[in-house]
Amino acid sequence: MIRIDAGKTHGPCAMMSRMKTTDTSHIRNFSIVAHIDHGKSTISDRILELTHTVDERDMADQLLDTMDIERERGITIKSNAVRVVYDADDGESYQFNLIDTPGHVDFTYEVSRSLAACEGAVLVVDATQGVEAQTVSNATLAMNANLDIVPAINKIDLPSAHPEEVKKEIEEDLAIPADDAVLVSGKTGEGIHDLLEAIVYLVSPPKGDAKAPLKALILDSYFDEYRGVVATVRVFDGSIKKGDHLRMMALGDTFLCDGVGCKRPLETPLDELGVGEVGYVVTGLKDPALVKTGDTITYEERPCAEACPGYHEAKPMVFTGLFPIDNKQYENLRDALEKLKVNDPSLIWTPETSVALGFGFRVGFLGLLHMEVVKERLEREFGLDLIATSPSVDYHVYKTDGEMVDITSPQDLPDVTRIDHIEEPYLKAKVIVPPDFMGAVMQLVVDHRGETSDMVFLSEKSVEIHFDIPLAELILDFFDQLKSRTKGYASLDYEIGDYRTSDLVKLDILLAGEEVDALSFIVPRDRAYDMARSLCDKLKEIIPRQQFEVPIQGAIGNKIIARSTVKAVRKDVLAKCYGGDISRKRKLLEKQKEGKKRMKSIGSVEVPQEAFLAVLKVDDE
Amino acid sequence: MPSSIAIGSGRAWRERLSSAGIDALYLHVPFCARKCAYCDFASWATTRGDVLPRRYAEALERQVEQVSHLGLLDGCETAYVGGGTPTLLGEALGGLVRCVMECAPGIRELTCEANPDSLSDNVLREVAAAGCTRLSIGVQSLCDSELGELDRLHDAERARERVAAAVGGGLDVSCDLMCAIPLQTSDSWQATLEGVASLGVGHVSVYPLQIEDGTALAQKVGDEQPSWNSSDTQAARMEQAQSVLEDCGYRRYEVASYARLPEKECSHNKMYWTGRPYLGLGTGAASMLTAEGYKRLLEACPQLGPLPEGMTRARLRVVSGRDQIAANGRLSSLTFEEEFLTERQAAAEDLMLGARLACGLDAGLVAYTHDLLGESVDKTLNRLVREGFLSDALTPTQRGWLLGNELYGELWDLAGDTETLTRRSA
Repeated sequence: MIRIDAGKTHGPCAMMSRMKTTDTSHIRNFSIVAHIDHGKSTISDRILELTHTVDERDMADQLLDTMDIERERGITIKSNAVRVVYDADDGESYQFNLIDTPGHVDFTYEVSRSLAACEGAVLVVDATQGVEAQTVSNATLAMNANLDIVPAINKIDLPSAHPEEVKKEIEEDLAIPADDAVLVSGKTGEGIHDLLEAIVYLVSPPKGDAKAPLKALILDSYFDEYRGVVATVRVFDGSIKKGDHLRMMALGDTFLCDGVGCKRPLETPLDELGVGEVGYVVTGLKDPALVKTGDTITYEERPCAEACPGYHEAKPMVFTGLFPIDNKQYENLRDALEKLKVNDPSLIWTPETSVALGFGFRVGFLGLLHMEVVKERLEREFGLDLIATSPSVDYHVYKTDGEMVDITSPQDLPDVTRIDHIEEPYLKAKVIVPPDFMGAVMQLVVDHRGETSDMVFLSEKSVEIHFDIPLAELILDFFDQLKSRTKGYASLDYEIGDYRTSDLVKLDILLAGEEVDALSFIVPRDRAYDMARSLCDKLKEIIPRQQFEVPIQGAIGNKIIARSTVKAVRKDVLAKCYGGDISRKRKLLEKQKEGKKRMKSIGSVEVPQEAFLAVLKVDDE
Repeated sequence: MPSSIAIGSGRAWRERLSSAGIDALYLHVPFCARKCAYCDFASWATTRGDVLPRRYAEALERQVEQVSHLGLLDGCETAYVGGGTPTLLGEALGGLVRCVMECAPGIRELTCEANPDSLSDNVLREVAAAGCTRLSIGVQSLCDSELGELDRLHDAERARERVAAAVGGGLDVSCDLMCAIPLQTSDSWQATLEGVASLGVGHVSVYPLQIEDGTALAQKVGDEQPSWNSSDTQAARMEQAQSVLEDCGYRRYEVASYARLPEKECSHNKMYWTGRPYLGLGTGAASMLTAEGYKRLLEACPQLGPLPEGMTRARLRVVSGRDQIAANGRLSSLTFEEEFLTERQAAAEDLMLGARLACGLDAGLVAYTHDLLGESVDKTLNRLVREGFLSDALTPTQRGWLLGNELYGELWDLAGDTETLTRRSA
């Protein structure tokens, strides 16, 4: 459990007095940005320790990543704002608001939200790896947000660290002066004090008018059963206290402020959130949909003239069907999605019906990782058993009557006779990789219908390959294959490109002669045969043997193009007597039944969850 | 068809529930000379000259005397000394058998499990003289390379010779055989089956090898099920066993059991499948008691605690270790895992167990469960007949035998609530 240190360095009273609003000249709001695994979270942890925000012995690794899934996967998914008090060498105390940002390519949207609440950014670069794809993209985001950049070179404790070369890379690749880059080790804590001093001097204090009408930006929110929606905000003008009558500027709803505070990292109530500060506001609103990230909170009676410039909304790129295995959980799934949306405004969904799976939702995600994380949270936090169907992109289907329809689910594809042509979304992608792997990457791009457009040697050790690639290829297995074929050296970045015409067909899968709509997906015609064959083989491995033989067929329209067969199970009996220990026999039967419950009955066939994502695994072997 | 159920004929079955005694006694001997690679039973190796087996056997004798004083053994018809390797007890096994026969004079069948390795002429004479009527010998295979893979201590020749000696000694003999084992082929299996038949044994048990978690074998084979143990192989071997043994004059009367004549069937094991109460003593031993039987055992085992309300049947398992039992053999010092079943659960369980027998579901049992559980019994039985698991006469079909778990699971589900009440004694 995390415990706030109230004893050793600061007494409780001293701490509370520090928690009064701080003059803006003594506030620093910053994020830490980095390429994945460059050590952002460990540096955050060391900062919390050094400022005695948490006691060393209570320190769970990577404190800011609070969700189990984040811990387990070692990635930050949610933004989190923590306030620390730093007693600087100049004798003054500073209020630091540390706004953690996600570090995966799926979550660039969250990064941009967090950055809007900051004046500065600590750019962490691994002393052994140097500048990588996301170092560039995150630094660009930070510079575009006009943030003061504090470069920090991490992992200097490692024998293979080469900080001087990394400094050169920062200057050459990012055009950021790095002569005074702070050398740190998140592992040993070395240089963290220097980093905190650099933040005091290099990051501008927030500007703002304490007397002006309230203008506070919502950068995140979470739902609390007892207090309703709690919004994390950055105050740009004015101040907020309990009892204020407030209004959401974009959505227009009003509410009575039920309390304010900050996280240290546990919630600490305050009398007031002053200008320039970051903290939370208890809205008391029970409907998550009324609190929208990116909205501006102001006074009901005396509103500010202009809302904060809006966030650019993240566009979902990957769509998948989510269906409860037990149809009775449909409403629970809807409620759970609503609740997740409070903290994850990029999540969108529409109801979807499948002959095979019943009622569910077609859900849009920022990427595959986002999809996995959401599915896992729905299952763990809301106790749902879900089936996710093969991910799809948003196709533009032009019908013979000239109408264009957006298709995000293969089963919605119009009859082939009514389709004139189909366009699919392309990405402009770039991979940075050591030249040794150049050939492997270019082959991979070609294999995935991509076209290389440019190649730039960044240095002797890295080349940047630019290419256009269908998004549908990227969401299947491109990223995993890129990692494996380049031994993990490649880093990938992409932005949304244009739509292009492709020759695509719907591949259907039949189980025991019945078409299973939830297993259909859209493929390029010239690869349909190969895909159908590998998918039939994969499904044969995944679907357990049943009491009857189950033929698996792949078809385009009425034409069967591939088939495999799951043989009937011939023996399933516990013959052994176990000296009359019938309890044991029954327990084994119950265990078998539990396993079946996690499967979906389609007709007479029991299909495990992972079968619906088999298309992601066809190239595993 | 199951729809022709005679309503009301379930009275006899219901009366069993009120019986206070036990019909069968099981004694577990958790010692063996060496743990076999596949074994996950409550049994551990012991060394020659160890005093523990003897002390343990004496402790069991005291427990048997105690339960007989409670009157629990008055109607006891069968006993079974299983293991482990009871024959490893040597002469002490004779003492144990003698004690059982004295305490439960109504016993008509007393089986001892034996391994060819430790079944000496002395032990054979000793147990026969003490009152043992039947030996169940762990032959497993008559192929030396297969026996080696299983870590068995005997070879085929020793097995043949010992089985012949037991048969010659006038005892009823059963051989345990194991199929779907490493190196086994259809031919070697055929030879094993015909080999034991030619020795003149009255009874054969056939089990497909189960690769149990935590055993040496599981570690050896890893995650992939080896082809010699695949469900196809198991099915083929079980079918082959039936066909070969039937050709040799045996009849399959239970999913894993074959007998030459009805009187050679194992009466003790049939108790398990027909809802008859039994008491198990020794490490890991299982008991099934009626409410009345439980209350009687409670007199000697206050640690069990009162029977929870609304429960018809108790299933107990001794969890005390063998050292503990040898050191203090009193019933009151034993620790039990306890499970209690409602009348509905007990009824569904009886259906589940009855489906293991070739004679199928007893008409009285079906009528009784129909009274108790209503239409759902008809529905389930009709479906199981339709799906080919049961014949019209409610006997298991070939499919019902091979896919027994499906059949048993469906019948057990008739309990409605399949969650049972469990606890551990003080």
